[in-house]
Amino acid sequence: MLWQLRAGLILLGGAFRATAQYRANIFSNMAAGAAFQTVGLIGLWVILNRFGEVAGWTMSDVALMYGLRLTAHAAWAVPLNQLMEIEHQVREGLIDRYLVRPVNPLVQLLTGRVRLNVFGDLAAGLILLAVAASRADVDWTPARLAFLVLAILGGGMIEGGFQLGLAAISFRTLGTSEMRFTVDTIFNLYGNYPAKIFSVPGQIALSVLPVAFVAYLPTCALLGRDSGLPLPDWAGYAAPGLGLLIATGGYLFWRSQLRNYQGAGS
Amino acid sequence: MPLIEAKDLVKEFRRVRPKTGAFSTVRTLFSRDFEVTRAVDGVGFAVEAGELVGYLGPNGAGKSTTIKMLTGILTPTSGTVEVAGVVPWRQRERNARNIGVVFGQRSQLWWDLPLRDSFRMIGRLYRVAPARYAQNLDRFVEVLGLASFLDTPVRQLSLGQRMRGDLAAAMLYEPPILYLDEPTVGLDVIAKERIREFVAGLNAEQGTTVLLTTHDMDDVERLCRRLVLIDHGRVLYDGPVAPLKEKYAPHRELVVQLASPAEVVVPNADVVRAEEGRVWLSFDPRTTPAASLIAEVSAKYEVTDLSLVEPDLEGVIRRMYLEREG
Ligand SMILES: Nc1ncnc2c1ncn2[C@@H]1O[C@H](COP(=O)(O)OP(=O)(O)O)[C@@H](O)[C@H]1O
Ligand SMILES: [Mg+2]
Repeated sequence: MLWQLRAGLILLGGAFRATAQYRANIFSNMAAGAAFQTVGLIGLWVILNRFGEVAGWTMSDVALMYGLRLTAHAAWAVPLNQLMEIEHQVREGLIDRYLVRPVNPLVQLLTGRVRLNVFGDLAAGLILLAVAASRADVDWTPARLAFLVLAILGGGMIEGGFQLGLAAISFRTLGTSEMRFTVDTIFNLYGNYPAKIFSVPGQIALSVLPVAFVAYLPTCALLGRDSGLPLPDWAGYAAPGLGLLIATGGYLFWRSQLRNYQGAGS
Repeated sequence: MPLIEAKDLVKEFRRVRPKTGAFSTVRTLFSRDFEVTRAVDGVGFAVEAGELVGYLGPNGAGKSTTIKMLTGILTPTSGTVEVAGVVPWRQRERNARNIGVVFGQRSQLWWDLPLRDSFRMIGRLYRVAPARYAQNLDRFVEVLGLASFLDTPVRQLSLGQRMRGDLAAAMLYEPPILYLDEPTVGLDVIAKERIREFVAGLNAEQGTTVLLTTHDMDDVERLCRRLVLIDHGRVLYDGPVAPLKEKYAPHRELVVQLASPAEVVVPNADVVRAEEGRVWLSFDPRTTPAASLIAEVSAKYEVTDLSLVEPDLEGVIRRMYLEREG
């Protein structure tokens, strides 16, 4: 495990040196990531300003949830962004060389290239979260702060676990980018708003799908609000555990699918 | 105990026939409608430490697929592989430290980094002690002639330079086993010779076990003492080079260039190859004198050029494949 981390750093160093020649690119990408998130934030702010509150949630409540969701999203997108390369690398047989080096193939895939625009997402999420957390009606005890951190990691693991599992299907030389994009869209659409605003079938779907566990349920737990979903009150506190479970499942599935890798055919 | 051992090795490639229409991705995912290619069909052989084995066969015979199973890249459909006591596809990271791999078609190096930087990464990933690393690098730079392009990014190297770089990278951590899949394809004579010399040296001086696929018979004649010949995923011959040559050596080849392409049929000789009006005829000089065959051919066809070829390994193998099919 420690070795994988060290090997990952060695590889990341190489990837960084390889992209260093495109340094201008790196920073413009990062700025683009932050700008993209800012547009999303402004949209939300406009909606809230017009209606004041949504389903009894004030602007600062929603902002807390939105910040949590954005940060959780960045928490998986920062380490796992190279998953988007998988289809191309499978098709071109580039996975071959990962399999003959003494490092976990997933570590090699993830450290293959440095993509800094995700750090723009992370920055946007953290700033929003910090502002929202200071303004929200929450008494920030150390325990609540610790839970917030766990909730971010848990939310990241929920989304990341799904993305990893879906990416693993690419080993069967099937296109998965559409599916990954769809799942990301579901998390974006339903993860950024209080689940209460959806209709009853929507709420039931949300309590079965883990989407609500990324940000909505942990935020309800922090704010001491009823989620309105057919789930027990402590469900929000279970989110980090669920994240660990889903991430582990995603990784085990990834490992099992690796044996379906067929190479590029000569 | 052999260092490399494959038993009843089978690899089937499955391609799902893609579905179209609604939910096509999901339906393709659960589809049982496969197109199956049996690329390797029950291959077995054992290689002892220190051997240098040529693994030969026509295009599509299953050579690369076998090598990919031996290196742990592919998981066999059935059968077993054991390399230095490790099942490659199960314990990839352990296996990786025992083997060097060079594919002629695809570089293992970092495309955007200078060659020197790629080497340094390999050295660190394989945890080569610094003194040992410096010593190996110096030796390889000299033997393979790398000095002039050590600081050039890999993507700017010529094919010959890149291959030499790949070879050095594969041996920096001194693995006891080296797999070479068409290491000389597309190279000029000088680069080929350099690579042969390097491989021969590794085998002779360090006792590195080498498994080599190639289409270049000079590689084989120069390097291999033992051959494994395969076709359609099956082993046709496994043994020393000499008896194979003896068995088929009586045959000579007559190469004729026809004025226009035609189907050549002459008694006492077999067409072993034909392309664009050039025809390779194999015959046994003990029963059919070359002169009479030449007379016969020129009488029936309009011949613009001809030459007589002494038996080389390539002719021997062609002859052997012909007999298998015939
Ligand atoms: N990834 C793959 N998917 C489908 N078919 C493949 C794949 N790789 C190889 N094949 C097929 O398997 C057969 C053997 O290929 P290969 O092992 O590359 O042959 P060789 O190296 O002897 O030329 C060929 O028919 C080839 O088309
Ligand atoms: Mg091949």
